[in-house]
Amino acid sequence: MARILVVDDSSTVRDEVANFLKASGLEVATAVDGKDGLGKLKADPGIKLVIVDVNMPNMDGLTMVEKIRGELGNSTVHLIMLTTESNANMKVRGKAAGVKGWIVKPFNGPAVLETFKQLAA
Amino acid sequence: MNEEIVSKVLVLDNSLEHAEPIKRFCEEHNLVGLKVRKSRLMSVLRTNIDLGGILYSETYGGSPEESAEIALLIHAARPELPIIVRRESEATLAGLPDGLRRIACAAYVTSDMVALSKVIDEYIFSLMYPNALVRGIVEITQAVLGGQFKTLAIGCETPYIVHDRLIFGELFSLMPLESAWCRGYMMLQTEEAPLLEMLGRGPDAGAAAGFRAVNNLLGEVTNLIWGSFKNCYIGAAAALADSQIQVPLIVNHKHKYISFGTENPQLRFRFTLTDADTGRIVKLDQSFVFNLSWSPEDFKELARFADGHGDAGELELF
Repeated sequence: MARILVVDDSSTVRDEVANFLKASGLEVATAVDGKDGLGKLKADPGIKLVIVDVNMPNMDGLTMVEKIRGELGNSTVHLIMLTTESNANMKVRGKAAGVKGWIVKPFNGPAVLETFKQLAA
Repeated sequence: MNEEIVSKVLVLDNSLEHAEPIKRFCEEHNLVGLKVRKSRLMSVLRTNIDLGGILYSETYGGSPEESAEIALLIHAARPELPIIVRRESEATLAGLPDGLRRIACAAYVTSDMVALSKVIDEYIFSLMYPNALVRGIVEITQAVLGGQFKTLAIGCETPYIVHDRLIFGELFSLMPLESAWCRGYMMLQTEEAPLLEMLGRGPDAGAAAGFRAVNNLLGEVTNLIWGSFKNCYIGAAAALADSQIQVPLIVNHKHKYISFGTENPQLRFRFTLTDADTGRIVKLDQSFVFNLSWSPEDFKELARFADGHGDAGELELF
């Protein structure tokens, strides 16, 4: 069972984030888009933190987090956006969907590791 | 990097008498002139795929008929390049052999270079690019490349205008740019082999890197540049232009050719990634093609990239 789910269509980012977190002792699963992410989250109740990109094919990240809270009815999993977007309207939409935090890429692992560990505990 | 935009032109003119005024004109009008002898013309055309136009003498071929024949060959090979003909007496296309008159876009005489300046503005520097945009693109791209290739030195040559439609390297990415002031594409082009070699030497190098690793890397670089571009210059989706007009893009693999369906030039930046240990260099060409809409007067810099870049990677908790 994984504790953290990393959802990004870019394998470069997916691998970078997942490898960093694994090397820091965390259990990580990955998904390639919002649709895949929803399926993985549904199948693994151990996931406590989802790190998700915004711009993805099939299902974007903001739709995914809205579905996590709505369709899946999962109100406890922590949601963090990791994206190139810094648009205020998107952040408002994310916040309304229960997103806990927003990171503008590039990913800086050491800067966020402690928070991630707390959220995934 | 110089923010002044230049363009590379072939100077096909053997006249010693006119060489100096043409050279001076090029220097004063941001043209990088490449003087080419007749015997090397086709090989120079093959190796220079980033040209802005051609300054062509009506006597380049010797006789008017031979000059026309050479110009037709050039036009057949690169019809997108504007051919501007130097006449001996009057700045007119009248009196040229039919073939040359048909393909030339304008004429000039060295006794009136002011007129040539207008022709250059019309046919080569036909779009105006705000300085803040040019500077910002360089800052964004250098920061993204520096983040992805931490051990390499990132350089950028002077930005230039390209009318050629030939593709550099084997690998390119396209990203649509949609805003109230521009609609078009950003294209990144590179050669696969040098990038594969660089990846194979990186800190995470295990098994030899495959082409998919290069694809993924170029995709992520494109995504990061696009994200910052959007944050600095595009802003909210509500500000997007209403127009949903599109035109087909044509790619011909055999001829390494891409058309965006417009005569508009490309704004091109060449970045170099240098490995100081080995001296190896990867070249990355970045082009901006505003083929669907271009209103630089409405351009707005919403945020200076350099000011906000320090926050990248930080977690903003709600």
